[in-house]
This record gives sequence, structure tokens and C-alpha cells, in this order.
Amino acid sequence: MGAAAPATSAHGRAGALHPDGGHRAPARSWKVGPGRAVTDLLYVILAVISILLAVQGGYTLYLMIYTWDQPDVHERTKAPDRFVEPSLSFTVMLPARHEEEVIQTTIGRVVGANYPAELLQVLVICSADDTGTISKAEEKVEELRLQHRQGVDVVVFDDRPINKPHALNVALRHAAKDVVTVFDAEDDVHPEIFNIVNTVMAEDPVRVVQSGVQLMNYRDRWYSPLNVLEYFFWFKSTLHFFARYGAIPLGGNTVFFRRNVLQMIGGWDEYNLTEDADIGIRLSSAGVAARVVYDDRYVTREETPPTLGQFVKQRTRWSQGFLQTLLKGDWKHMPSRAQRLLAAYTLTFPIVQAALGLYAVAALIMMFEVKAPVLVALISYLPVFLLASHFMTAAVGLREFAEAHGLKASWGVTLGMALAWFPYQLLLAFAALRAVARLAFGINNWEKTRHVGAHRERRKAGEHAA
Amino acid sequence: MPRKGGLNDSWHKALLAVSMVSGLVTHAYHLFLYPLYTTDEGIYMQQAWSILREAKLSPYTYFYDHAPAGWLMIATYVAVLPMQFQTFGNAINAGRVLMLVAHVCNVFFLFQIAYRLSHSHLAAFVACFFFNFSPLAVFYQREVLLDNLMVFWVLLSVYLLTRDERRIVTAMLSGLSYGLAMITKENAIFFAPVLLSLLYRQVQASRNRRFALSYWSFAAWGPVSIYTLYASLKNELVPSRFNFSLSSPPADHVALLYTVWWQLNRNQGGIFDPHSLFWRFSLGAWLPKDHLILVVGSAAMLIALLIGLRNRERHANLLVASSLAASYSLYLIRGSVMLEFYVIPLLPFLALNIGLMLDHLLGATPAALRVVSTVLLVAVLSVPAGGGYVYTHNDKGQVAPQDLYNVPQTPMQEEEIAYVRQHIPTSARIIMDDDVWVELHDQSPPYRYAHSHWKAAGDPAVRDRLFQKDWQNIDYIVMSNKMRAAMEQNNGDGNEGWMLDAIDNHSTRIWTLKRGDVELDVYKIEHGGS
Repeated sequence: MGAAAPATSAHGRAGALHPDGGHRAPARSWKVGPGRAVTDLLYVILAVISILLAVQGGYTLYLMIYTWDQPDVHERTKAPDRFVEPSLSFTVMLPARHEEEVIQTTIGRVVGANYPAELLQVLVICSADDTGTISKAEEKVEELRLQHRQGVDVVVFDDRPINKPHALNVALRHAAKDVVTVFDAEDDVHPEIFNIVNTVMAEDPVRVVQSGVQLMNYRDRWYSPLNVLEYFFWFKSTLHFFARYGAIPLGGNTVFFRRNVLQMIGGWDEYNLTEDADIGIRLSSAGVAARVVYDDRYVTREETPPTLGQFVKQRTRWSQGFLQTLLKGDWKHMPSRAQRLLAAYTLTFPIVQAALGLYAVAALIMMFEVKAPVLVALISYLPVFLLASHFMTAAVGLREFAEAHGLKASWGVTLGMALAWFPYQLLLAFAALRAVARLAFGINNWEKTRHVGAHRERRKAGEHAA
Repeated sequence: MPRKGGLNDSWHKALLAVSMVSGLVTHAYHLFLYPLYTTDEGIYMQQAWSILREAKLSPYTYFYDHAPAGWLMIATYVAVLPMQFQTFGNAINAGRVLMLVAHVCNVFFLFQIAYRLSHSHLAAFVACFFFNFSPLAVFYQREVLLDNLMVFWVLLSVYLLTRDERRIVTAMLSGLSYGLAMITKENAIFFAPVLLSLLYRQVQASRNRRFALSYWSFAAWGPVSIYTLYASLKNELVPSRFNFSLSSPPADHVALLYTVWWQLNRNQGGIFDPHSLFWRFSLGAWLPKDHLILVVGSAAMLIALLIGLRNRERHANLLVASSLAASYSLYLIRGSVMLEFYVIPLLPFLALNIGLMLDHLLGATPAALRVVSTVLLVAVLSVPAGGGYVYTHNDKGQVAPQDLYNVPQTPMQEEEIAYVRQHIPTSARIIMDDDVWVELHDQSPPYRYAHSHWKAAGDPAVRDRLFQKDWQNIDYIVMSNKMRAAMEQNNGDGNEGWMLDAIDNHSTRIWTLKRGDVELDVYKIEHGGS
């Protein structure tokens, strides 16, 4: 052999293209503090969390596009094109609290539905202390009586708790028709909604029907388009998935029950902040299938909360209600493991959302403060990619929503959505954290959402313009 | 799709099975013996070795010459083999088995794509026949090349796009598959316009068209974004000081975007330059192996393109098939740097066009006649008087099986490795070709100082730091006549000169083996005589 072999081989010299170059300044690292083992453990935890978040993000995405992905779902779940002769009778419950501004219009829209008056019973339910709403509702009832319209009554209760589920249970005692349905005081009910449900229940022996609800005022506030799209994806897609697997948290209105089903299940849970989701889970556990009917033409129109504070309160209530339902454990009685898993995941989502918020803040800090190994950094990119996919889905959804309702989705709105995206996720996470905190401290009071009828003003403006 | 459970369905399955089995046989038989192990095969196995043994993308400085999905895939596959690189005798054999598996999958995809585009079993079967039997195709499809894996992902993407169901998940998987194709071999990007137009055509009337288009695009972008993020995390996305000068490249670190820029500016003459690599390979390497698939396939592509353009609605499927072939042909003829095997991604689409055009020409011919025509075609192409796909005339003018199924070439390389192991100490500093790299590094005891001549010429970490560009730091050179030719070609900047000097002026040939036009040699560098 000639000269001695080189002291080292080329292998193992990453970035050693040039002997004097390629060595970057050492990155800030946690190694200085807790030591190598702890650092490695933290990286492993970071990678595991990232993978879990990516899986969760993928699942959430799939729920959002489920109805578009399954070609038959749309056909199976849209409203019937032809209606059968009205045969079912309906009791319409309108729980209202401090709804002076909107209650008369809502009563008017319900009684104005394209359905025989004798098959409709309308119950406006108020607590005794809400004299303003009672007065407005009675004024409207009197006006209808003068027009010879019967079957509309105001039910007043003076016992506690003063909340929506208690109001519904009170009204259930007065319900006299085949099918009981709930609308909120600000709802714009479609005139054909009873024909649709009458036809669906005549053709399919289903005992619970959830129809679509849609927020409409997508341009009012910075968070409005994202809030509107949440409803859009929830009612148009996600609920269909839940219904298919028989674990469905129902919505708070435009939901129709056979009266005997409600009586069998014992009505609504008066101490649950999301009595709608809770009754859905209880019905699923009892083996009562729900059918979801969604048709853009016939959705019940609503508005986004008017202020950020109201929005946070609404979200807190929903998250807390889901957690209450989770802790109650009715979902454990669902027949199949898949149902139980699905229900548990859905009801746990507020915790996931809270964790996401914390992760987002931590991720921001880590972006600037931590130089993770390349593989860990690549893995931690996966949830970011899923988040970007989520936004893209929302951007496409905005166009779908606008097309479905004859509106215009400008690029300006999409840009606004992009800017609002991260703050909105943080807001949801904050509400979820607040819910967890309220639950931990035993605070269970009902934080009511105020309604101003923004969706009606827009519609009127549109109608006038037309 | 064929009717489930019916006669048509059985016929479909039978023809598909015949196509896949014939693809398996033509590619598996003599797989480890022919053709010679090549430098590129060695490089990809070497880089897969580095992933498994060193957790790095390359044992040398990775300079983004190719995206790494191909050898990541090879490494994943090798990792699950019982004896890893030695499962099939040597590393390249292990890689060739993966190529075989990929080819059989590709036959499945091609058959289904051809059938979906034409609703004709004849078209599907003929396309797969050319894809399975063309000597040009078999030759390159056996080799461990990124192009073969890229074709797998592209065909999978097209296969998913041509499914009848209009699901978003299917579109997304197609996009993801295409994204993986792009980070397996970058020239997959030339298929993008055709794939997008095919997707648009498939979903334009669907209510989920917006989601399908955006999910396809986003999923395709996913793997590419991970690759660019990788470069970014390594601080190797852009060159330092944003220096994109081709005459004075940035010296402190490699950069993905600089390599892309450099590749885009490499030009070795296009179709209008008679001395270009396109013509050199066409006339020198491709046509002698199989002129039929190239000539008939190109003619079929052009006719299908004309028919498709004249009536886009009625002959949309011909337009799709011809556009797939035409888009990649444009890449080949445009005049960038080209290697012999760059023809690989064109072959399935030329075969597709032949199948579709034959079906188009036969039109409403009775079924029996179509079957007879197909059998005759296969028979004629298989014999010397026709295509010579299976039997041909050898050098002596005798009828013999194609070299692909007859000539053992790789045992020469095995003898070479055996000689090195028996006669050269593991501490020796060796310059060699990449095809023996893994054999010398993965087997125990390893030759830690055995390096590729490419890296000894081009990678400063090897050239300047290890060998100091001095022939006296070399102990042995293990080479083939092809490596010698490559060294001379690659010596434009003089970086191979010190190695050529070692061979020509300071060495003794201690072993040689010559068969046909292949010569292997081992040189010992005589330090004492300098």
C-alpha cells in the first residue's frame, strides 16, 4: 500500500461539501437546559402530537367534504321534488327569551307556511319574567285571531331553570300533534318545510328528521364568513356522516320528532347546555335512527352572533354542553363500538380544539425558538399542511355556499377569510378553554345569544333591490 | 368497466391476468443476468443504503440532483426484506425485483387505463403486449431507475383519474400519486397539463368539481412542499447571496433552486440539432433495440392527436392518450440533458396509443376477426421476420432468443467483485464505478475508502479532502470500459485528469475480463514508481 489511508471517510459528513464552509451557526437549542435525553423525549412528543393532529385534521377534513365525496349522499338526502298530500300534524315550539325584536316576524313566518292551518299548532314559550317578549307574542297571537287563525298560543312558565330545554319540556306537555318541531325565535323558516318533512316521514318510517340550518350574513363581521361556513359544512356534510353511522348530535332547531319518541325519551335534559346534541345522543343510544335532509333551497336561515362577545359565549355554551354530554355517558350505551367511538370523538372535540389552540401558540413560539431536527420539523409540518387544506376547503366551500344561495363570493371575502383564519381558530380554542374552565368550576348557567335579525335585513334589502 | 360477474367480466379478468403474467415473465426471466448493472442503478442503491445505514439521503453530499422519493421507496422496500440488500444475491438485484413488482403493477394500470379510454379489450391487450415485450421497454424497465418508479406513480394517477366514480378522495389520491411522481423524478412535471385537463374533463359536470380540482392540486403540491421544506430546513433552498450565476456557482453550500436553475439551463441540443443527444440515443441506443414501438407508437400518437383535435368530444379519449405521449415527447425533443433511459416514461404511452389506434382502425370489425388480428400481431412481432421481440437473428445470423433472455452479462461484474474481495485489502483507497459501491460497503468487512469516480471528480469533500486530487492517494482503480469513457467525457473541467493520469501513467493492470463489447479491469497504482 502507498500512503496511509485517510483518517476519516466521507461518510457521516453531512453538508461537508466545502471544508471551510457549510457549517452554520449553532441553532438555539434546549440542550443547554434539560439535557439530551429530555430534549429527545420532547422531540418525540412533538412528533407524536403532530401525527395525531394530522390524523385528526384529516378526519375533520373528510367530514367537511363527505357529502361531496359520496355521490349518492346528495341524492339520498336532498328534499323530495314532489310533496305528498299533507297528513301529518305538527306542533311547532318557539322558545323565546328577550326576543322582542324578532318574535312577531318568526310567528308570522311559521303560520304563513304552505301547510294546512288545522295541521299546525304553534306554541311560543316564554318565562314569566320576560314580559316584553310575552307582550309582543300575545299581540301577534291576537292579530292572528282577528284573522281567524287558530292554534297559536303563548305558553308561560314561572318555574326554574329558565332555559331553552325547560321551556321545551313545558311546551311538550301542551303538544297535541303527531310531530313536534323546534324553531328558534330568529329563524327564517322555509314555507315548504312541513311539506318536506311530511313527505319524508310518509315515505320513510323514520321518527326523527333533522333539516338544514344556515347562517346567511357572511359579510357582516370579520368572523362571519368562517362562522357561516361552519354551519354550511356541518349541516350539509358532517351530519350526514354522523347519521350514517347512527351517532348524531342533533341541531337545536328545524329538527322534527314523532311526539311519542320525545315522550319515550323523557324530553330534553334541562341541565345540559346543548340539549339538542344531548337528545340526539340519547336517541342514538336508544336505537332511534335520525334522517338528515339537506337542501340548500329549504334551509332555515339564521344569523351569526352580532358581537365577538356573543360569539364566544355561544361557542363556550356549545363546547361545555358537549363536554356535559360526554361526562353523562349516555353515549356508552350505543350498540356498536364504531358508534361509541364516533360519539366520544365528537363530544371530546372541545378538548381537542382547546389543545389545538395551545398547540398553535406553542408552535408559533417553537418556530422562532426551537431548531428541531429536520425529520421532526418535517413531521410537525403535517398538521400545518392539513390546516392549509382546511382553509382551501373553506375557500371552495364559500363558492359552493354562494352559488347555492345566489350570492357572490368575491376574492375580497376569501382574502378576509385568510386573514381571519388564525385569529378565528384561536377564538374557537379560547371558547373551548373557557368551557373547560367553566365545567371545572361548576359554572353551568345559560349564556344566551342575542339576535338582531341581520339575516332578515339583508334578505329584505335584497328583495327590495330585486 | 366490465359488467360484474358476466362473460365480459371473465374475459376482462383473463386478459388482464395474461397481460400481467406475461409482463412478469418477460421482466423476471434473466432479470439478474441482463442487462449489465449500470452506474445509475448503483447510485440509487447506494443512496437507499445511506438512508438505512446512515439516516442520510446520500453517502456523499446530497446536492438535489434528484428528489429523493425514489430511493426512499427503495430503502423502505429493502428494509422489510429478510436479508435486506443481500436477499437476492446483491443490492442491485434487490432493486431489480422492486422494478419487477412495479412493472407488474404498471401493466395492471395500463390495461385498465386503455380499457377505460377505449372500452376495448383489444386495445388494452395490445398496449400491454408492446409494454411487456418491446425489447427497448424490457431492457430499461428491468434496471433500477427512478424513471420506472415515476412511471408507476404517473400511471397510478391516471388510473385513478379514469375511474368512473367521481369521488373527491379518488381525485385527491390521484393528485398525491402525481405529487409523489414529481418527487421521484422531476420530469413528471411534463404530464401536469394533460393530467389536469383529464381531471377537468372527468369532473366538469359533477357537483363536486371545485373540490375535486382543488384537492387534486393540493394533494399534488403536498409532497413537493415537503421536499422544498426539507431544503429550507437545511438552509439549502436558495443559494447564498441569491447567487444564480452559472459561470461562478455559489461555493459555500448546495441549493435546491440553484440546481433546478442549473438543470433548466443545461442544453445538449434538441431535435433540430443532428448532433444532439436526442438523435444519438434515438439512432444509437433506442432504435436498434426496438424501432417498432418508437416508429409505430409515434405515428399512432400523431394520428390519434389529429383525430382527437379534430373532434374533441367524440374522440376525447384519443386526445388524452396522445397528449400523454406528446407531452413527454416534447420534453425529450426540447433539447436538455438526456440520458439513455430517459425514454422510459414515453414507452407506456406509446404502447397505449398503439393499442387505441389499432382498435380505432379495426372499428366495428367482427369480434372473431379482431381476435385473429391480435393473435397474428402477437405471433408476427415475436419472431425474427416480424418484430423479433422474443426470437431474433443473432450475430451469426442464427435464430435465437433475444439477448434479454439469453445473454448473461452481470456474472462478469460478480467476478470482478469476487476478485476485489480476494486480492485487495479493505483498507485500500479505491476509485470505482457506482455499480459495485453497495457490494463493497454493505458486505463485511466493508471497503470504507472505496469511492465513486463521479464523486472523486465532482464532490469537493471527496476530491479535495480525501484524495487531495492526487493520484498518489489512490491505491486501486476498479473500472469498466464504460467508466473509462464516462471519465473522459466528464473531464471537460479537468477534474477526472488526476485519476486518468493514475491509470495511464502509474498503474499496472492486475485483472481483466472481456466479453463482447464489455471490458472490466482492475488497476493497481504503483506509488513506488513515481
